[in-house]
Amino acid sequence: MAAPEAERTVVDPTVRRLSEIARPELLPIDPTTGNPLPPKAQPGYYPGFSTLSQQRFWDEATRSVVLARVREIPPIRFFTSEEAALMEAVLARILPQDDRDEEHQIPILPALDERLYSGRIDGYRFDDMPPDGEAHRLGLQAIEAIARHLFGRPFVDLGPTEQDEVLKTIHDGSPPAAAEIWQRMSVKNYWYLLVQDAVEVYYAHPYAWDEIGFGGPAYPRGYMRQEHGQPEPWEMQEQRYSWAPPPTARSIGDASNGWAPLQPGKDQSAGGQEGTH
Amino acid sequence: MRNGLLQGPLGGLRGPKAGEHMLGPIQKIDVPMRHYPHDEEVDVCIVGVGSAGGVLLQRLARAGFRVVGLESGPFWDTERDWVSDEAGSHKLYWNELRITGGKNPLVFGANNSGQGVGGGSVHWAGFTPRFHPSDFTVYSDTGLGADWPISYWDLQPYYALMETEIPVSGPPYYPWGDPHGYPYGPHPTAGISDTLVRGCTKLGIGVSIGGPVAINAGSHADRPHCIYRGFCIQGCKVGAKQSTLVSHIPDAIRHGAEIRDRCMVARVNMGPRGGVTGVTYIDPDMREVDLKAKVVIVSGYAIETPRLLLNSACPGFENGLANSSGTVGKYLMAQAGNVVLGRFPDLIRMYKGPPANSLTEEFYETDPKRDFVRGFAIQTVGPLPIAFAKQMVAAKGAWGWELRRNMMDYNHWAALGLLGEILPWEDNRVELAQEKDKFGLPVAKITFSLHDNDKKLIAFARKTTEAVMWAAGAEEVVQEPRYAHLVGAARMGTDPRNSVVDGFCRSHDIANLFICDGSVLPTQGSANPGLTIQALAARTADYLISERENVLAGKRSAQSGAPPVRYDLSPRGTSGRGVPRLKGHSR
Repeated sequence: MAAPEAERTVVDPTVRRLSEIARPELLPIDPTTGNPLPPKAQPGYYPGFSTLSQQRFWDEATRSVVLARVREIPPIRFFTSEEAALMEAVLARILPQDDRDEEHQIPILPALDERLYSGRIDGYRFDDMPPDGEAHRLGLQAIEAIARHLFGRPFVDLGPTEQDEVLKTIHDGSPPAAAEIWQRMSVKNYWYLLVQDAVEVYYAHPYAWDEIGFGGPAYPRGYMRQEHGQPEPWEMQEQRYSWAPPPTARSIGDASNGWAPLQPGKDQSAGGQEGTH
Repeated sequence: MRNGLLQGPLGGLRGPKAGEHMLGPIQKIDVPMRHYPHDEEVDVCIVGVGSAGGVLLQRLARAGFRVVGLESGPFWDTERDWVSDEAGSHKLYWNELRITGGKNPLVFGANNSGQGVGGGSVHWAGFTPRFHPSDFTVYSDTGLGADWPISYWDLQPYYALMETEIPVSGPPYYPWGDPHGYPYGPHPTAGISDTLVRGCTKLGIGVSIGGPVAINAGSHADRPHCIYRGFCIQGCKVGAKQSTLVSHIPDAIRHGAEIRDRCMVARVNMGPRGGVTGVTYIDPDMREVDLKAKVVIVSGYAIETPRLLLNSACPGFENGLANSSGTVGKYLMAQAGNVVLGRFPDLIRMYKGPPANSLTEEFYETDPKRDFVRGFAIQTVGPLPIAFAKQMVAAKGAWGWELRRNMMDYNHWAALGLLGEILPWEDNRVELAQEKDKFGLPVAKITFSLHDNDKKLIAFARKTTEAVMWAAGAEEVVQEPRYAHLVGAARMGTDPRNSVVDGFCRSHDIANLFICDGSVLPTQGSANPGLTIQALAARTADYLISERENVLAGKRSAQSGAPPVRYDLSPRGTSGRGVPRLKGHSR
């Protein structure tokens, strides 16, 4: 006798049930139903693609660097505990990970803290910026001041919409508070420092590579299939699904479709780019 | 590796053997390096073992000079030190502090010069176009910029020679500038190259595919062919992409050159008789060491070279060495390197294949119909995820969920870079800052602003590159303004009143002080400078070799003609190789 329909439905064991989610307002939604999408072990259009599963094909030096990045989470030593809590909340809006289940979220703060603690820099400093560590400390003070100015409460106590509105004032180059801090550093260059520090950690992580379908380390094996975006045998075809950001988010622009460019690049150096040519 | 799994032809999986210094999976340093006693005077000291320094070291060692190269970064073992990982490759860049300002501040670190043996050639993408003949007469032709003290034809034999030594892969006939062919065949195309070719073809723009690039399309001796993994600017572990580390350094060591790595030169020392006596450097144990040399060649690239000359100020040379003209540090150039990004309905997977593959130089020369002089190239680039994320941040103002969403479409995007000529302007400059580095040496302060011609050129180049991207079938096109490459700041010229070195890279002021690297370029064209820098180094070496007696005695000679081209000094196994093409192939 066939099992009842409900029992035959395949359930992705890595997907949480919505009833277990503490804050559904943080979740992306299914645009066709408007319902929140439960967090996944692996968001993105390459379900099941795993760069880490290929590590036996990587060279030893690369394997040890990438595995250390995944396994060894440095302690917080640069930021104070108050600063760390605030920065954690800021990073959760700069690169929100609410679509990831807890075990598969990528820790950003510890790697940023480690960079600032050890004084590692990218080889330059804009002449309208203080050193990176000081800039991050001043930035947190400014974010807190803007939160209190706009909403009368600490940033960490605000909801996602209010938090995004605070950050958006810096993104837009018009922070309404902390004028004395913005005399000491450029709003634009602080914003790039903050966002770039976040992406340098997030997109260095194998989970992020899996999410976007990037092949990861490729020595000594290399690639065979170069044409028409074809995957290697160990890569995956794209499997798109539709999702929309949580309606509470304000990092998505003002255009009706929600995805128009917020601020087209201006004809000046944006700062911090990797080499390309 | 467990059970000897996959111990294939490349050494990478099982890792290097103890005691072997590997430069790629096969090539290794095969003789013990010579070590000169620390109190011994050598013939030539080269400061900076990068694109120029590596070639100079190899040439001079082969010609029997007693030569030491000082390098502030490590002497890489590529199997142990390099990784196939974007974030893990930051150590390849010059990450020490520089202060940057002006109306269009340049960024450094990952974007520009390198640190470690091989220098910037370790993380260049490897495009190797020649400069055009018109690049050497920009002032005469346009009334802007500067003329070179040498012509294209002085460099032409060295271009051909370096294309064989590197070696360069490219088409058998390359139509732009002085038309020529490449000694080795081109690479297959991948996603981004196909995008550029599709767009250019639709618009009737000529395009070169598969080169010229300093990447092996086939294996040569101990250097394997490319495996199309796309990590060129993270240091090529394969050894297919050229750096002087893999192309010239092994030969230099074999012929008695010494490299002292992790040694930061603090100053070039002047003697009582108006010549330099050597350098003072800080060794890895933070001790100051004097190295005496009959000749010093500064090859620190466009920021560190002027910084060292300025930091070497001493009585009689209060404004720095070789700076009687006051032009040390001035006329710094970067090329416009705006990246135009297009999103396509189909997958591109731009991480596959070398970012440097295809290009067009159809817009290189001055066109009187435009409102600016000089021109630009359009080239393939292939940002890996972190670089691409930063481009989304800069080009779209993306953050938060919009950034996550754009990044999930990474495999749908292609990136093209324009490479635009920015002219040399006196106010674009390198000076000393108040801040000091860990050695107590003042760091460089760089000021950079675009001028009218530069802005018009960039606007036109950007529009053209965007048109190519649309024509290729993109459904969304955005762009990020940026700059690539650094040259100038110690330029060559015939007039000692407005230049630092002569046409053989010898300083006008001090007979036994040479400067040889990208900093001597008076203008930069819209070709990537790496090949030109290496060709200039080979020519400078030939001059030193032909003038050995005078140069080592600290004397100038009457010779101003070209030295004989030393075809016999090529690294082992490169001379005369490759298939001769129609034109411009050496021997």
